[in-house]
Amino acid sequence: MPSSPLAQALGDLDEATVVRLVEEKLVAGEMPLAILHELQAGMSIVGERFESDEYFLSELIYAADIFKNAGAPLQEGLRGQSQERLGTMVLGTVKNDIHDFGKDIVATVMSSNGIEIINLGVNVEHQAFVDAIKECRPELVGLSCLLTTAFEDMKETIRTIEAAGLRGQVKILVGGGPVDQATADYVGADVYCKTAQDGVTAGKKFLGVS
Amino acid sequence: MPDTAAQKLFEVHERRIRDAVALKTPDRVPVVPNGPAWPARALGVKMSALATDPMVSYPTIIGAYTSLGEIDGIQSPAYHVSSLSMMWLSKVKVPGRDLPEDELWQVDETELMTLADYAAIVEEGFGPWLDRYYAERLPGTVEAFTDWAKTVPDALATCREKGIVPFTPAVATIPYEYFCGGRSMKEFLLDLFRRPDKVQAAMDAALPVLIEQMRGVIRGLDLMGLWIGGWRSAGEFVSPRLWNRFVFPYYKQMVDAAIEEGAIPVLHFDANWTRDLERLRELPKAKCVLSLDGKTDIFKAKEILGDHMCIMGDVPPRMLSLGTPEEVSEYSKRLIREIGPGGFILSSGCDVPIDAKYENVKAMVEAVL
Repeated sequence: MPSSPLAQALGDLDEATVVRLVEEKLVAGEMPLAILHELQAGMSIVGERFESDEYFLSELIYAADIFKNAGAPLQEGLRGQSQERLGTMVLGTVKNDIHDFGKDIVATVMSSNGIEIINLGVNVEHQAFVDAIKECRPELVGLSCLLTTAFEDMKETIRTIEAAGLRGQVKILVGGGPVDQATADYVGADVYCKTAQDGVTAGKKFLGVS
Repeated sequence: MPDTAAQKLFEVHERRIRDAVALKTPDRVPVVPNGPAWPARALGVKMSALATDPMVSYPTIIGAYTSLGEIDGIQSPAYHVSSLSMMWLSKVKVPGRDLPEDELWQVDETELMTLADYAAIVEEGFGPWLDRYYAERLPGTVEAFTDWAKTVPDALATCREKGIVPFTPAVATIPYEYFCGGRSMKEFLLDLFRRPDKVQAAMDAALPVLIEQMRGVIRGLDLMGLWIGGWRSAGEFVSPRLWNRFVFPYYKQMVDAAIEEGAIPVLHFDANWTRDLERLRELPKAKCVLSLDGKTDIFKAKEILGDHMCIMGDVPPRMLSLGTPEEVSEYSKRLIREIGPGGFILSSGCDVPIDAKYENVKAMVEAVL
């Protein structure tokens, strides 16, 4: 199916056109939810280009920011409507680590791909993940860190989730500067995500929408 | 250096490193570890003291690494946490002040530099702007850094007296890294799309000042080498279009200037630079070192750059923290075999992490024997 002009403009990172088309569509009375879906289709184009090495993190961030700005006028109209979220992820930088850049990129990119993010911030206590899982019932949990010293906290977080009897309900994704597959195995995660887009791909797979 | 035995040892170590840089094959692969935090943990020194007290930091760094066996050099035997703020234009959470006494310092990345600063840099000149920035937004940093800098010659002399080469005890980097740290990475990347000309004008104003600073440090400390660092400007983060405009031309000028001063530029490149390895062939042959942290494919680097540039690295931090001595030894020997034996310096990928196991770091050092 060919992309709509709006989706294509976002895919091409043509910010001015994206903003103009969203305004025109709202004036023409189009449903905000339909416009949002077009923007999400644009983010899919961006994701495909990232995976084929045409785009890099810089483009992912720019696209997500265009998405956020262009989508802002839709929020009023979307209130109260079911937005058909693909799923939810509880996300945080684990205890003893205050680095938020990677984690926030994941939040931006995943939310612009239709996955709701419950962002717990940085230096997040092990138990806080458990509390958030109980409250928000996510399908996914994302753990980030930049310090090797936080590997133990990643492991402990997952152990705490297990001890609370919630491990079977969530898929756990891990990432961050020093994290690799061996780290993911060590801490007991389900997936190692090298990039934010890996998180989108893995998340969609677990949610059965890829 | 009165001790002739130490002098002779120093000469052997220096020759090994210089041979590797010149793409020759030394009598054995030199090993030159790096990282200030692990030595404190290894010797039971408080991280707060290591981070802020120069009279603690260099004896600790030199003491810990020389306890491992015969190392050829230490990348940087001197350390003060203020150096991070100076280069990242960011606040840093310091152990003993903002964090518990024995925890690792962490950069507190916020938007300390504003959009208006790009124009201010062009109008005021980078030097005056930087002085004002430090004074207003990072008070106390310059004073702490200056006090520490006065002790660096002693640190280098202590290192040399033990026969160990202080290989790269200073750091320079391109304007991209300064601005990225000050703006925070997300905002900075957006700036590259939305106001590229303003960013470039500020970079062009900053580069000559940074190069002059670097020349002064090389001369003042009579440096054998120095880091020309890159962490957020890696191809992993930036598309080729942006990289070709905002990153590589600046490194090229900085590298050329360092070589002109007679120093060995060690491209301390964190994160993944694999995409752009070919471009590094444009830098002078057999004059630089490419130092990798485990994220760039070091074997690909050998394939592309092996006949052009010495490679250093890259025992991954994760392996030093979580792995076994056997794993470290096996990987280090593979590096010596496949990246070396000529044109290669064995080291940790970036820093030996704070929680590396002593026996793992020792296994890395012993792998060259």
